[in-house]
Amino acid sequence: MTGLVTALVLGPILVGFVLYALPKGADAGAKWAGVAVAALAVALTLGNPHTPDDSVPWLARPFGAAFHFGFGAISYWIVVLLQVATFSALVALRATRLREYTAQMLVLLGAMTGVFLAKDLLLFALFWDLMLVPVFLLMVGWGLPGGGPRRAGTAAWRYLIYNLAGGLCLLLATAAFGIVHGSTDVIGNPDAHVVIGNVWGAWIFAGFAFAFLVKTPVFPFHTWMPATYGELPPPVVAVVSGIQSKAGLYGFIVIGLPFFAEQMRAATPLVVALGIISLLYGAFTALAQSDAKRVVAYSSLSHLGLILIAIFSFDQVAIAGAVVYIVAHGLFSAALFLVLGYVEEREETRSLQRLGGLGYGNPRLAGALVFAALAALGLPGLAGFAGELLILTGLYHAGFGAVALIALVPIVVAAAYMLRLFQGIMNGPKVADLPERRDLTWIEGLAVAPLVLGFILLGIDPAPVAGLASDAARALTGPQTPVSHRAQPRRSETESAYVAADSVR
Amino acid sequence: MSPPIPYVNSADLHALLPTTVIAAAGLLALVVDLFMSAGRARRWIAVAIAAAGLVIAGVLTAQQYGHSYPAFGGAYMQGGFAVVLGEIAIFATLVSLGLGIGIGRDDQVAGTTAIVLWSTCGALLMAGAGNLMMIFLGLELLSLGLYCLCAMSVRSAARESGLKYLLLSSMASGFLLYGMALLFGGTGSVALAAISAAPPSPLIALGAGLFLVGIAFKLSLVPFHSWTPDVYEGAPLSVTAYMSVVTKAGALGVLGRFAYAALPPATANAILLPVWTVAAISMIVGNLAALQQIDMKRLLAYSGIGQVGYIVAAFAGQTPLGLRYAIFYLAAYTFMNLGAFAVVALMLKDADGSLGVGAFAGLAYRRPWLAAAMTFFLLSLAGLPPTAGFTGKILILASSVGAGYWWLSVLLIAGTAISVYVYFKIVRAMFVRVDEAHVRAERSTNPLPWISIAVCAAAVFVLGIYPLAPSDIIPLAK
Repeated sequence: MTGLVTALVLGPILVGFVLYALPKGADAGAKWAGVAVAALAVALTLGNPHTPDDSVPWLARPFGAAFHFGFGAISYWIVVLLQVATFSALVALRATRLREYTAQMLVLLGAMTGVFLAKDLLLFALFWDLMLVPVFLLMVGWGLPGGGPRRAGTAAWRYLIYNLAGGLCLLLATAAFGIVHGSTDVIGNPDAHVVIGNVWGAWIFAGFAFAFLVKTPVFPFHTWMPATYGELPPPVVAVVSGIQSKAGLYGFIVIGLPFFAEQMRAATPLVVALGIISLLYGAFTALAQSDAKRVVAYSSLSHLGLILIAIFSFDQVAIAGAVVYIVAHGLFSAALFLVLGYVEEREETRSLQRLGGLGYGNPRLAGALVFAALAALGLPGLAGFAGELLILTGLYHAGFGAVALIALVPIVVAAAYMLRLFQGIMNGPKVADLPERRDLTWIEGLAVAPLVLGFILLGIDPAPVAGLASDAARALTGPQTPVSHRAQPRRSETESAYVAADSVR
Repeated sequence: MSPPIPYVNSADLHALLPTTVIAAAGLLALVVDLFMSAGRARRWIAVAIAAAGLVIAGVLTAQQYGHSYPAFGGAYMQGGFAVVLGEIAIFATLVSLGLGIGIGRDDQVAGTTAIVLWSTCGALLMAGAGNLMMIFLGLELLSLGLYCLCAMSVRSAARESGLKYLLLSSMASGFLLYGMALLFGGTGSVALAAISAAPPSPLIALGAGLFLVGIAFKLSLVPFHSWTPDVYEGAPLSVTAYMSVVTKAGALGVLGRFAYAALPPATANAILLPVWTVAAISMIVGNLAALQQIDMKRLLAYSGIGQVGYIVAAFAGQTPLGLRYAIFYLAAYTFMNLGAFAVVALMLKDADGSLGVGAFAGLAYRRPWLAAAMTFFLLSLAGLPPTAGFTGKILILASSVGAGYWWLSVLLIAGTAISVYVYFKIVRAMFVRVDEAHVRAERSTNPLPWISIAVCAAAVFVLGIYPLAPSDIIPLAK
């Protein structure tokens, strides 16, 4: 179906604007219209995986650029994840001014779909900057219940300034890339893959890398993250933490690997060091947080550090694992934030010291949280494990054995902080002065269900994601891989990806 | 040496036809006003005559597209980028007059409208000027009108604004004139083309330097910018909107032609390097100063200083594409800036008043469409997608990187980062939930700015995603 990919990007944005034109009271209608759009997007994406690209020329000078959208091997499942998470977030929406809220969420969906489906670097940069705006407005308009607009404003500024600084560097790097390469219509196009090797390469890569590292975020660029995740309303943070934070990692895979392999190899020690710091710092900080949302925020820092290291290992299996883990992390962190949002809505606090004993009265809520927490700590059979195993296998294979060993530490710590989170909220003696509320309603269940189903299915059989990503990773790392001890057994690497996938079964 | 002008032929007169029509419309508005009785209709009639003249002039200018002709022996270059700059000036005049339907009291409107039109004639002459005399003629015609317009209102701030503009602008004209005299002395000709052909001499360098100081003053580049915020703040809103675009269009036309055509290639880079430096300083200082502003007109004045810095940066390296991108960004700036002014006009009961940033608090919930429009224009001013500001900025970045001016592009990014804070302060105010009682909410009864907003928003969007290369729709000529 021609035009479908473009429709997936522009459709939600247009519907978002149409919602603005609805009468002021049409809150419920707007919300369910938004849910329908997200559901339709999921159905269309899953139903048409082999849709051809859409491309319309844009600039001819000073460099070629096009409005070029298309599914890619890496982006396909991330987009499905995005649409599913947005569906869940929209179902879970409960706030004042739902019409505007839904409209902003749809604009966010469209803009982020644009980031992942853009096959032109300039278009990528366009949506990269665009996706900041709805998050900023959502944070300003609906940020944190009870904290007052002043505090939400601070977090919103921090989010905007950090990410826009990255976005502007990305823009400059894109312009320079266009001048050097002659065209920006290059993402996922093997014919255009040239390593930019001259003096410019290092600077252009630095621009991209800064944007990606800030977005992920990675230590020391992470300081915007805990405040943002803390202050954003839960449905939004589910999407931002679940998917928006993956845009940087995605950028390293589809832009870094094919064009800046040289610079990435040169930067590997530094980035791996940052990744390890993020891993350990995130994990141990999560262990010490009393704010439930911040536990998950810092665990995110830790998990994404692992993915970053995997990408910089240049190993096919590790990169396939990175993509699996990107999707898995998106699913369980969205589920975690949604469930924590429910807890906060009910008890009007998210402090682990104050909460306790909710599990007795709310078995369904406890069930949802335990599933998400187990997926996050990497329980075999759930999605987190599949990704972690592939990454660790790949790292070991690529000669990063020591790093793989260090990476085991936060995985163990993850078990500690996730169980601490669960026990702090659900177990223990009942707290007398906490309000008693009803258990998970069916609408709330409907919001979490697709995410839980997703990480169960992906945990049982990661092959659809891993296989696609593994082939793409071979194409991306292949030509630049220097002849060395690990370039030789290329065949067995592919096999090992599937062996790893099998072992999960 | 420019050849003597033996006679003026019809092609020469044809080149000036748009300017003539606008000037005549000004006269007509004055004459018709003599026969009008007092009342609000006077405003509408005067503005309607002006609008008719401007539209005709716009069509006539468009017809000159692609027909380059050196009229009056090269004094006025018809065609080329003068067409685009001319259209920008004409459009800005039209929008400015519509913001408050003319300027001043009912009995003043015919006069002020005529002055606005004649100032526009000056800008058109500047945009096409091919020799030093025409540049000065255009510049003074533009400025003389503005001195009156700035002082138009009865407020003392307006009178202060007019006087300040008169004094500082006259000084700038002095610099410009001295520079011109030196250039003439060094080359024996007033034609820009002849200057580039002359052998380099200290006289030319000094003359060009003084000339550029004068132009930088008119463009309000830092450090020649100090008059801008005060004048913008004191002048009536329509005049501020007018000045923010029309003077820039005229002065950029002069600067463009001077940088590309008049300077000898051997020394051009050395002479122009200070200009790029000044542009870079403007991007940073203009946006930094805008951070502290709480009055919308002052804020837009400082933001305009930064924006002009971006435009001038596109000239760096004097690449042919750079000229196109400068004009592209100027067009983008015209639409987004006038759009923002139109929003401000709709929030004022009296077009002569001033508006604080605080008035935007909660606007998204009181007047969602107005807030959406303002957000869109501010996104564009900040260089965020999907707007012309974004595309313009990427083109300027590409141009300056391609010409080897890395440092300019890095400073442009830094300036943009600062400007985001400036513009998003307003966006944030609009979307924060506030207590309605504390907001001074005014409304204008004039519906015309809505039309401007619609046109500007459409233009900002279309220029932002125009599917053909924007570089190809803007003609390139000396």
